[in-house]
Amino acid sequence: MTERQKKRVTHGLIITWTGALLVFLYLPILCVVLASFSKARYFRFPIPRYDSGWYEKAFESLTVRDLVSTSLSIALLVALVSVVLAFFGALAFARFDWRGRRIYQRLVLLPIFFPQAVLGLALLIWFSTVGIIPDWRTAVIAHLVWIVPIVTLVISIQAYSFDPALEEAAFDLGATRWQTLKEVTLPVLWPGVVSGALFAFLLSWGNFPLSLFTTGADQTVPEWLYAKMVSGYTPLVPTLGALTTASAAVVLLVGYLSWVFMRRAQGR
Amino acid sequence: MAMAAAGPAPAAPAAAAVEAAFSSFEPERGAVADPILRLSQLSKRFGQFQAVKEIDLAIEEGEFFTIVGPSGSGKTTLIRMLAGLEEPSDGEIALRGQRLNETPANRRPTCMVFQSLALFPHRTVGQNIEFPLKMRGIPANERMNRALELMRQLRLPEDYYKKQVNQCSGGERQRIALARALAFDPEILFFDEPLSAIDFRLRKTLEKELKDIHRETGKTFIYITHSLEEAMVMSDRIGIMRAGELVQVGAPDEIYSRPANRFVSEFMGEVNVLEVKRNGGGLHCPALGTDLAAPDINGFDSGFLVIRPEYLRFLAPGEEAENRVEGVLYNEYALGSRIQYQVRVGEQVFLVEKLREQRYGGQLDDKVAIGWDARDSVLAPE
Repeated sequence: MTERQKKRVTHGLIITWTGALLVFLYLPILCVVLASFSKARYFRFPIPRYDSGWYEKAFESLTVRDLVSTSLSIALLVALVSVVLAFFGALAFARFDWRGRRIYQRLVLLPIFFPQAVLGLALLIWFSTVGIIPDWRTAVIAHLVWIVPIVTLVISIQAYSFDPALEEAAFDLGATRWQTLKEVTLPVLWPGVVSGALFAFLLSWGNFPLSLFTTGADQTVPEWLYAKMVSGYTPLVPTLGALTTASAAVVLLVGYLSWVFMRRAQGR
Repeated sequence: MAMAAAGPAPAAPAAAAVEAAFSSFEPERGAVADPILRLSQLSKRFGQFQAVKEIDLAIEEGEFFTIVGPSGSGKTTLIRMLAGLEEPSDGEIALRGQRLNETPANRRPTCMVFQSLALFPHRTVGQNIEFPLKMRGIPANERMNRALELMRQLRLPEDYYKKQVNQCSGGERQRIALARALAFDPEILFFDEPLSAIDFRLRKTLEKELKDIHRETGKTFIYITHSLEEAMVMSDRIGIMRAGELVQVGAPDEIYSRPANRFVSEFMGEVNVLEVKRNGGGLHCPALGTDLAAPDINGFDSGFLVIRPEYLRFLAPGEEAENRVEGVLYNEYALGSRIQYQVRVGEQVFLVEKLREQRYGGQLDDKVAIGWDARDSVLAPE
């Protein structure tokens, strides 16, 4: 084989591999989208007739509105609180050296690896022990337990690459502590904060196991999808599933665009 | 920034002002003005480790003072204390006679150019330079005028005003950092090795520019570096630091020709150091097994004789020198404009440096005689 043929074979293999991987990752979601466009009452493949009627129903349905508003409230609140908590947590362990810093780092990150079902159950037991009746607000707390560590990790990656001399320089140049935070620390950490917020929102938006245990009488979109899969399937299930995924993609896109826009604005 | 004025401010009419102006030509005896910065017994401990040990130093108004020391000598800790970024454990820092210890960095009339420069990466060149003015609440158009003025002074093109700092070259970034510090209009500027990451040729240019800026602004500069060569180029006075202590303070010439000890002399680059002992009215060098002629040996007991490599010369047969040793030419290195030779005399290796035009004509492994005069060597007691 000549060098050139070898190169062509390698190239072909790389393309095949990448293609197979993409199919593996995205085929399932594609199937959901296909199912959502089916006119049939039951889940069948291949799809006999295409129709977008279920989307109209989804947008009109009061159930869907309730579900989305619950999920959205939880996700927004989780994003807000976790970014605030994680911002200062990340600064504390990326920027300062103090006793117990390493152990703090590990303890804080540990909940990421707890099985979520166990975490959800544990929280449920804890809530009822304390006497709190679970509803969507307890779900916020449950999500935070799992999501704050992840956001802390995301923001501290940004904080680690931060030259501490920047803050010192600002302070030395006459800035107060508050001005330093506003003019230097926040703008420099901003990309980390934005991606942390996106992570928090999306992880909460799509979370099932923690919500299942802790929302009480309220129901989030993933919970409803599961419940309907188990009993009472309608094509509204894949429709809402596809919409949930699409909205997550839109959030990501908006996040990405705002990041690009910020870069541009700074460049001007 | 309004700090205490150097003298009493006359609230009287013109006559008093004239008198004051004249009296400044003939300062009254005994009425010694406070130096701009005085350190007394200044110390810093980190746990058990003492980074800076009881330093006493007075810096005069308008001086370019450089502190030179190897890494770990405490020079960065020292300058950070002066800037207010580190709290002294003991002793006092006084600015024109006023204690400064408790004043935080943002309220000191001093400003630092950091080793990393610490330019704000999310801001333009203009925004960086204007930062201290913005913090003071100065209106935008005034800030811009001042920034453009500083950019002209530092030879930064005007259209850089809107450029991102991370698109600027190393030398430009240096100038931006300096412009930003000057925009603050400090009484003292500190420099924490800002040129250490810059390549040789650019560094040489920037050193000279910095010296020009010092003369133009008339401000007091306190500079830190590990390179004595760099210090020599720029400074009015140099302080050599080792293990938290100032081992010698003096003008560059003084440091060069009269190093206080072996450490200082070796800091200046490669030198020949011979261990010597007093022997009656002369000096004895055990390593060479001979007596040596040396400069003034009053009060000297034992220590080192230091000879710079450029002061050594190859002796032609019959040529005399006050000190003469014979050895073998053992190695030769091209150093650009100069050539360095290693001559082995017993266990001792001598370094000899010659200009390229004056290079030694012989071969390696030649037997050679080298010599120097007593006045070209320096005694260092430790």
